Amino acid sequence: MNTQLKRREVLAGMAGGAALLSSPAVLRAAGNEAIKMGTFFSLTGPASLFGPTQTACTALAVDQINAMGGILGKQVEIVAGDGGLSPAEAAQAAIRMTLQDKVDFIVGSHNSAVRQSIIAAIKGRVPYVYTPLYEGGECAPNTYVTADTPQQQVKPALNALNEMYGTQKVYLIGNDYVWPQKLNERAKEYIAAFGGEIVGEEYAPLGPGNKFDDAVTRIRAAAPDLVFISLVGGDNVNFNRSFAGFGLDSSIRRLSVLLEELTLFGIGAENSDGLFSSMSYFTAVESPENDAFKSQYAAKFGADGPPLSMLGADAYSGTHCAAALLNAAGSNDASAVMSASNGLSYTTATGTAVMTNRHVNKDIYLAECNGVAFDIVKSFKGVAHGETCSV
Amino acid sequence: MVWLLANATFAGAGLFLLQFVVDDFIAYTLALYFLYAIACLGVGLSWGQAGLLSLGQGLFVGVGAYLSGLSLIAFSDQWFLYPLLVSCCMVPGALGFGIGQLIFRGRTLNGAYFALITLGLVLLASLIATSWNSVTGGFNGLLGVPGLPGLDGFEHAYVISASALFVAILMVAWLLATPLGVLWRAVAEDERRVAYLGFDPNLLKSVALGLSGLLGGLAGVLYAPINNLVTPDLFGFALSTNFIIWAAIGGRATVYGPVLGAVGIGLLTVQLRETIDYWEIILAMIFMGTVLYFKWGLLGYVEPFIKQILIRSTAPLTPAPPRNPTGVGTLDIKGLELQVGQVRILNDLSLSIDAPGIYCLIGPNGAGKTTAFNAMTGELSAQSGQMSIMQSVVASPDARTLAQQGMGRKFQVPCVFDALSISENLSLALWTARIDRPALLGFEALQWTSVIRQELERRFPFLTERSRLVRDLSHGQRQVLDLAIVLCTEPRLILLDEPCAGLSKAETQDVIDTVQWAAASLGATAIIIEHDMALVKALADKVFVLHQGHLLAEGTVAEIQGNEKVKTVYGGGSK
Amino acid sequence: MDGLLVAHGLNISFEIVVLALVSLGLAITLGLLGVLNLAHGEFVMIGAFSAFFVQSQGWPYLAAFPVAILACGAIGWPVEKFLIRPLYARPFDAILATWGLSLLLREMVEFFFGRGFNSVAQPIKGTVNILGADYPAFQIVVMLAAIALIATIVFWFLRSVTGRRIQAMVDNPDLAKAVGIPVDALARNTFVAGLCLAGISGVLLAPIVAVHPSMGIDYVLKSFFVLVVGGLGHILGLVIGSGVIGGAEATVSAIIDRTSGYSFVLILSLLFLWRRPNGLVAR
Repeated sequence: MNTQLKRREVLAGMAGGAALLSSPAVLRAAGNEAIKMGTFFSLTGPASLFGPTQTACTALAVDQINAMGGILGKQVEIVAGDGGLSPAEAAQAAIRMTLQDKVDFIVGSHNSAVRQSIIAAIKGRVPYVYTPLYEGGECAPNTYVTADTPQQQVKPALNALNEMYGTQKVYLIGNDYVWPQKLNERAKEYIAAFGGEIVGEEYAPLGPGNKFDDAVTRIRAAAPDLVFISLVGGDNVNFNRSFAGFGLDSSIRRLSVLLEELTLFGIGAENSDGLFSSMSYFTAVESPENDAFKSQYAAKFGADGPPLSMLGADAYSGTHCAAALLNAAGSNDASAVMSASNGLSYTTATGTAVMTNRHVNKDIYLAECNGVAFDIVKSFKGVAHGETCSV
Repeated sequence: MVWLLANATFAGAGLFLLQFVVDDFIAYTLALYFLYAIACLGVGLSWGQAGLLSLGQGLFVGVGAYLSGLSLIAFSDQWFLYPLLVSCCMVPGALGFGIGQLIFRGRTLNGAYFALITLGLVLLASLIATSWNSVTGGFNGLLGVPGLPGLDGFEHAYVISASALFVAILMVAWLLATPLGVLWRAVAEDERRVAYLGFDPNLLKSVALGLSGLLGGLAGVLYAPINNLVTPDLFGFALSTNFIIWAAIGGRATVYGPVLGAVGIGLLTVQLRETIDYWEIILAMIFMGTVLYFKWGLLGYVEPFIKQILIRSTAPLTPAPPRNPTGVGTLDIKGLELQVGQVRILNDLSLSIDAPGIYCLIGPNGAGKTTAFNAMTGELSAQSGQMSIMQSVVASPDARTLAQQGMGRKFQVPCVFDALSISENLSLALWTARIDRPALLGFEALQWTSVIRQELERRFPFLTERSRLVRDLSHGQRQVLDLAIVLCTEPRLILLDEPCAGLSKAETQDVIDTVQWAAASLGATAIIIEHDMALVKALADKVFVLHQGHLLAEGTVAEIQGNEKVKTVYGGGSK
Repeated sequence: MDGLLVAHGLNISFEIVVLALVSLGLAITLGLLGVLNLAHGEFVMIGAFSAFFVQSQGWPYLAAFPVAILACGAIGWPVEKFLIRPLYARPFDAILATWGLSLLLREMVEFFFGRGFNSVAQPIKGTVNILGADYPAFQIVVMLAAIALIATIVFWFLRSVTGRRIQAMVDNPDLAKAVGIPVDALARNTFVAGLCLAGISGVLLAPIVAVHPSMGIDYVLKSFFVLVVGGLGHILGLVIGSGVIGGAEATVSAIIDRTSGYSFVLILSLLFLWRRPNGLVAR
């Protein structure tokens, strides 16, 4: 009946509320065994085109951390999970990771449904760092978000475009789910703040591949100065191709909030005039940190390595953040990490970021597409995240 | 009964012991795949048994899960939670039954179209779940669904879903072994023939789909509290097609095939898709290979033999209860007109039979003999004219009702159920107008026999090889079996379309004797379409000659042979 | 304002013509051979990747057509022989087998080209002004090419000896065989031709849409809905089906929103599958 007993034991760890948060998963103080880092990257599923760069960037970050003495004096070892699974399966993998593989912390980049299932599964037992841009509002215990928040992505970019080009009239188009809806809510606030006007808003269903000729025709009729795009994946590609195909690219500017190198490659060089992107990472960012990041990445993976992009760089920065958190806290104990997190500063792929309220104030860049590459138009230093999680 | 006990022991012991073999985490993972297995058993019921390929099993799982999730969130501390959850299982069941009734009623739908309707429904559900934020939680789904009160999500997950799987396995094992299971397999093979035995194929299919929905719903209802979340991916194309792959490879027509498929292949996929880069390619090839060469899946070639050994009952046959009352074998057709496209096939056909006996319907090819049968049983509808069959006026004939009232029809090509055993084929006929709904779910009716059956077995000894599969029979034996099926329903009006086609001389003689004996002992009217004049002479009390859809002459064999009009039509001689 | 109406008119026309174009290949495999080829969309995808491949080699866009035909033919030939031929009489199993095939093709293209998005530059750039509406020149060419292609196929089918042989085979395979028509070869060629047409439509669409391995799923369902609504019996069915599906989606999307437009198409197709499985133009 050994298994039965074991299950009870495990249960004690699972069921727990705050009182149990600290007990079973606390780092075993002594010994030279490695510290284990669980990862959830999109190895399969629709987002799997980002999986290889996420894995590679994280491997680079781990190399760097280990070279600098590891975390709490121990070498870091990766336990890889698949963030492309269905939420239920991802939750199972997370439970297995925390209870059987006994990982000491988790870094993940995947959609929000999977994030919430992982949070529900690990119940705050180990620190969990979430890295890709998202809709905001995640304040679960022992969860740390290094992602770009709506405020960071939307506010400076809209204001800057307004200043530079006088973009007053804005048309909103996005997919029909939570992330675009939340972003557009924020966008409306900021646009109202500088006295701009929303001249149209539409959503396309998530899932079926949409065509956007009719949307482009409506946009032409609405004659905005700027189209604010929160479409994802193939829809983002299709929309921008239609937009340029109809010749609107010469007169109307576009701002996309999920546009990195891989998606831009699908949009194509001849369709990217007047297209902007606002995120915390572009390969084109000029900073000593990014130069070092890119050269070390190239040195480790060579020319044939997975192409660098924002989702990879986020995972890289998130891994460094996790290391900094644990080192600052002196353990992976939830309350220690929570209190260490506030005001923590750590190195990202492009510079330095500061964590407050378990979110990150960081540098944001507005980039303009130049063929299938980005030119940084403006850098915003230490942009506030605008989230209000307690610490 | 032996079969059920064996299943209970096997499944119960297996599921109970398994938890001691595997570690906690595998046990927890198994709990999820057991739920998938329950839904997959539903696919086995509808597809493997009733032949309904549903590409949308996820619809039922999803509906169950969302209902259960919402109930748990709203009422987790209420006393009526458990009854509420039970009704959450029922809703997908009712949904399945309702969809079946809507889709199948009054039409024989192309099976491929059914598959795509189910696919369309699940896509629609997915769209609704993703965009109806206020109820379903949208893309992120329902979060923080509490576990079942008093049970812990992790520790008890295995116990909860293993118990549910145990119940589901027993239910499926039981259904498969009942007359209902036999009827489903018969429907999958030849819907029309089942209607000619007095059963409603559409109702049978709807019930299969409803039970399939019930199993899907059960899986969904437990999914919510075990995983503490419900997301729209349950309505995803991927999950529904996984159910199909699992059922196909495991063995769709078996009890354990879908379970093996879901648990075995499902877990293998989780383990291998990260280590073997092209696992999905391998799986796709295995699946295509299964479809092409191993239609019945892994267990499809194993389980039936075990089942046969267990079920091979030495239990004596018991007499069937008496048949529901039948009509008298009369027929009165007046002025029947029937046209298909531009071709007029029946042309003012009038024909009357008012006493039992053996009647032969002859005429050159294209005279409308088979069409006359088709008009009488509702295969084709006449444009005008009146029909009175078995003493009641029939406006729009329908094979099922007529079979209930005592009509039996044998088609020219033998219509027997290849995938069933000889005994099951004969049992189907014995159930006509005899079996009631409770008996459909019992085992006794499988042992029924009757005087007619015993006499048929005496005349044709191969009919006593009860467990032999019909697909192994010769053409002659199939013709005989088809006739035996018709006669076992104890009809009063028997329509036989060239019953001796393709038979040897000896077989022909046996069939003639049998028809004569049956007509006499049942007091029935037999109408036989026949070309062979020697047979007509041997059989017929009276002959009807059809020509160009019209009754040309009637009378005894001798009278017909002397009839000038008939001689002209047949070009001066008889065959 | 006139320009806006024209623009919407052109959009709907384009949508309809593209639907008809993509459905043409499926109309052949399903309508003539009774094979519901769920891998149809993957052949559109292979056509699109042919265009991408041709462009990445620096060859002219037009070279993509022979490449796509070669690719679809080279895959279609063995597929017909080993997968489809044994299943002509088992339409259910054909659905399952072609579904497996779609998975296989998708994974194989991922293997060669990766999972990311690819872009094919438009061979004709810029817009033309039609009655006050600026419309992409290349999309006009695609529309004309699609109409010409459909017309050619229909004309050829109705007039050529092979076309009539195919009709004979569809009506009565046994009789066709008896009068000396090589039914097996004919069925194979018809099937492969249907796949090649899917490939050609992929080449035509590649410069307009995102080219990626999963793009096929978008097309197969819509094509099937077009044929369900239109009916399989007649070329008119293809046109009417495309008109109803494309028109309905555009109208409802314009009046309510796009999610409703897509749901409406789903519901409409379900209603047709249920109440009128032979479509508007019955055989």
